[in-house]
Amino acid sequence: MAIVDLKDVTYTYPTTDSPALRNINLQVDEGEFVAVIGPNGAGKSTLCYTLAGFVPHFFKGELTGTVEVAGSESSQSTLHEWVLNVGLAFQNPFNQISGAKYTVFEELAFGLENIGVPRDEMKARVVDVMELTGISDLADRSPYSLSGGQQQRVALASILVMQPKILVLDEPTSQMDPIGTREVFGVIRKMAEQGMTVVLVEHKVEWIAQFADRVVALKDGQVLLEGTPAEVFTSSIVEESGFGISRYTSAARKARELGLWKSHRLPVTLDEAAEGFSQALTPDPPSASLRDASRSPGGTGE
Amino acid sequence: MNAFSMYVARESGLHKLHPLTKGSLTLALLVAGLTLPGDWTGYFLVLFIILPLARWGKVLENLVRTTWSLSWPFVLSVILIQSLFWGKGTPIFELWGISPKVEGARYALISVGRIILVMADFLLFAMTTRPDTLMISLKQVGVPSSIAYIIVTTLQIIPSFQRKALTILDAQRSRGLETEGNLFIRVRAFVPIILPLVLGSLMEVEERAIAIQVRGFNSNRKETSLVEIDDTRRQATVRKLFIIIALLCVVARIAWQLLT
Repeated sequence: MAIVDLKDVTYTYPTTDSPALRNINLQVDEGEFVAVIGPNGAGKSTLCYTLAGFVPHFFKGELTGTVEVAGSESSQSTLHEWVLNVGLAFQNPFNQISGAKYTVFEELAFGLENIGVPRDEMKARVVDVMELTGISDLADRSPYSLSGGQQQRVALASILVMQPKILVLDEPTSQMDPIGTREVFGVIRKMAEQGMTVVLVEHKVEWIAQFADRVVALKDGQVLLEGTPAEVFTSSIVEESGFGISRYTSAARKARELGLWKSHRLPVTLDEAAEGFSQALTPDPPSASLRDASRSPGGTGE
Repeated sequence: MNAFSMYVARESGLHKLHPLTKGSLTLALLVAGLTLPGDWTGYFLVLFIILPLARWGKVLENLVRTTWSLSWPFVLSVILIQSLFWGKGTPIFELWGISPKVEGARYALISVGRIILVMADFLLFAMTTRPDTLMISLKQVGVPSSIAYIIVTTLQIIPSFQRKALTILDAQRSRGLETEGNLFIRVRAFVPIILPLVLGSLMEVEERAIAIQVRGFNSNRKETSLVEIDDTRRQATVRKLFIIIALLCVVARIAWQLLT
């Protein structure tokens, strides 16, 4: 069942002439983990705002086509009903702090207060989400006194605590060091495993390749390519566009040019690369000649 | 005062009071100080009401320090300008054609009393009232959430604004902006600092508006609150009393003005 259904969506911001999204068709199934990649200005953030209802309810502008999320249609709904289904976290964590609360604990309760969750349930949900996101030790700190990475986890937690059906994340690890990134992806994967639908905009290809069910590549407001991480990240279309390339894929491409790469497909993750390179570096057993076809360009199933 | 909020966390009777009790006291003191006759009312209220209250609230030192650091530029300029440029009067001394007047100095001291009263009054409230409890209590008396939010975030945002200004100052200095030297250089340096600060803040407003709406702000559901605010019937009476005092002060002032 598609929980997100965008049909032929074209959207233009009120202050610009050319559309930010052009004829977007996108379906996301319930429980699916979809990653969105694309160069700057491709419309990734606009897509997030559309899913979260802020396009067009908040930004105004002109939207054609239909946006359907969790059974209701955007044009028929109001923003404050919409946000109960869709949670949105974005890049700059500093601006996602409400500014009206003194501690992280209260900050996380802010959204629950707004939607009228009873006090006991509120406390339980805040405690749970802090544990889930690994910020229990920050409960009594001021949200402004935290580091960028900590703030980003608070921002993510403040959305998760609302228990949305769909989680829309616009580069949630932009301020994070590798350790923080791993922790956040751990949380996102946990949510996905629990059945939450996730739409994630992210540049960190290696992470997407490990977690996402499907990847959508955007360019100039259009869907350029759509498929499994392996299909998208190793495709020549994405390579030509110059974004969304894992360094493992690049390394294997180079190896293939040099005639070293023997594996049938190009790798996206470290594990795949390790496997491929270990094949490349071991002397050819006689049966390896069967795979020779893969050395020639075009023989990689792209 | 930490760098992120004016609130000073302490265990005290003043902290425990209902936010609106403190709010109405703040209002009454402010109105009284500015309307009551008598040139030295400001000083009296600070000395005999605000400072003892600050002591009770265990924030005396913070209050004095912050009041001073916020008000000294005003105090200094008022004293200089009023005493130097007072037209006719008794000169205190004469030197190189400069003769500060006694009347000017007196008037300056009166003004300073008012400045300090306003600062100390406001800071006493901000230092002993948690922003979240203020927001909840404002909403309880029927202030719309958006207005309550604006009031509370304004209290919170001053320190973060300060921090951002320092970052911009450093950034502009590292690109060669001169910020030290004579008055002219300092004034000229003001523009490249204030402009990014204001523009940047305006751009942030949009994101912040989105961020709080994602979290159900402005939703039409009945709101709940994480913390319960202690209130007593006696405090409710006291609050009314403070409001009445404030009103009486205004009425008395107007009547006095009309009669004389």
